[in-house]
Amino acid sequence: MAQPAVVYEECVTHESSWDADEALTAVYTAHYTSLVRLGSLLLRDTGTAEEIVQDAFVAMHGRWHRLRDPHKALAYLRTAVVNRCRSRQRHLVVVDKHTPRTLPDEPSAEQAVLRTAETDRVIEAMRTLPEKQRTVMVLRYYGDLSEAEIADTMGISRGSVKSHAARASKSLRQLLEQNV
Amino acid sequence: MNDNKPNDPFDELMRRSLHEEADRIEPSDALPEIRARAHAQRPAARRPWLLTAGLAAAGTAAAIGAFTMLNGPDNIADDGDAVAGPGTTTTATGVPESQTPSIASATPEPSQAPTEPPTTSPSAKTAGPTDRGVPEPAVKSTVVPVYWLGQQVGAPKKSAARLYRTWAKVSGRPAEQAVRIMTTKQPSDPDYYSVWRGAALNTVTRSNGIVTVDFKQLPTTALDADLARVAAQQLVYTVQGALGDNRTPIQVTEAGRSGRRLFGQVDTSGPLSRAQAADVQALVWIDSPAEDQLVKSKVTVQGVASAFEATVNYEATNLKTRETKKSFTSAKEGQKFSPYSFQLTLTPGEWQISVYLLSAEDGSITNTDSKSVVVK
Repeated sequence: MAQPAVVYEECVTHESSWDADEALTAVYTAHYTSLVRLGSLLLRDTGTAEEIVQDAFVAMHGRWHRLRDPHKALAYLRTAVVNRCRSRQRHLVVVDKHTPRTLPDEPSAEQAVLRTAETDRVIEAMRTLPEKQRTVMVLRYYGDLSEAEIADTMGISRGSVKSHAARASKSLRQLLEQNV
Repeated sequence: MNDNKPNDPFDELMRRSLHEEADRIEPSDALPEIRARAHAQRPAARRPWLLTAGLAAAGTAAAIGAFTMLNGPDNIADDGDAVAGPGTTTTATGVPESQTPSIASATPEPSQAPTEPPTTSPSAKTAGPTDRGVPEPAVKSTVVPVYWLGQQVGAPKKSAARLYRTWAKVSGRPAEQAVRIMTTKQPSDPDYYSVWRGAALNTVTRSNGIVTVDFKQLPTTALDADLARVAAQQLVYTVQGALGDNRTPIQVTEAGRSGRRLFGQVDTSGPLSRAQAADVQALVWIDSPAEDQLVKSKVTVQGVASAFEATVNYEATNLKTRETKKSFTSAKEGQKFSPYSFQLTLTPGEWQISVYLLSAEDGSITNTDSKSVVVK
């Protein structure tokens, strides 16, 4: 993730002896914000992203005795968040077909500060991608994950990650060049 | 994916745009809620104490009763008048004085099994009553003060620090949550810091005239005597603030045992009393707005100061254009902690608001606090 893992670097000597509460606090402090941001990029709805990330942390707390390692915990959280966002998105697509324009697409007034025209175009273009392609692109460019990590997180093969990425890049390049 | 050519402008554009989009999102703190939910959903099988809960119920009820009484009629759920002067908290951040502790039973925490209160097992040097302590009741939502250290400017010593206060919304057991924030979190204001990082809280319990804060592990940092004293008061102020009780002394223990020297300096064989605000508290601070808050162009700044002739100076600077507004206001009273407030009208953008006190002798800056805000 983009955020440096400050907290558990500091406590690295203790981490194996952490109980679930300590692990929760440390991993939360280091990664909550970036996971919500990841979810928001996938869903375009911060409120729902917050809910999903919170659910994932509650689940992580429950299985800490099996994870026992903040790095594993982070991978677990990321997978949980991505999966939940994806199924949520598929649900929204169905809903959207029946009631167009109810997608919580628009950032709330408070967030509507300072988005550059360039970012605007990229985000608009991302919206046209199919769900899997968009997820791959977000994990690649926001999450800075490797192909293998994306494959693990999404539960698909590396080959599929490659082809989704290739197709997504192609459509995005075309769209972005057109609109210049 | 790192297997791309690093300088492809398309990759750069994607990376920059997604990060820019993501950075606009600032989720609010959800840790207390997550913790409460995590504890509520623990599978019963892993809670052996549940089996004895029925037996303990009567005792628990009595215990909560006792706590409520102690915390009772003259409870000032805010951070009492000894700190800030009456009325500050109501004017400050609009802190809800909701002190209706919806008594705990909702989310009992395993670590605080009512049958075996984690009391201080008497060690050689234990002072004060070490019988059964009672955890404070959990509440659904409340706002607690959390204290931090801040550098005292113009002080003769480099390590001189004073206490600064921030507010945090918590659910669960207020004092426990406040100490957890103080020991595990980074203060939102970059000028503040804590020397309590690395400490692991166990419980906050209360028995006859004493509040026991038990740590699984105390901080191991060694500090000089003055800083250690203020850091110990950071804990006292935070716990007392959350309990709304400025009088009951705080006993610090580690795994139930008292007597370790805190920061290599402070004797904890007996309970710690609250130090005079004038000795440890920052002489001026800003309660509102909070660091990084999004505000309208008309900003009301509120805080507490103990100032010579009640004069509080302030300055606001636009971080981009360097436009500066400078003036002063008066606190309600001079030479003692009392509230002040003033209004600014700022253009959109990022601003830094500073308040400061000047020395009566040579006009140099003696105390200060500052907040960065974003004006809509």
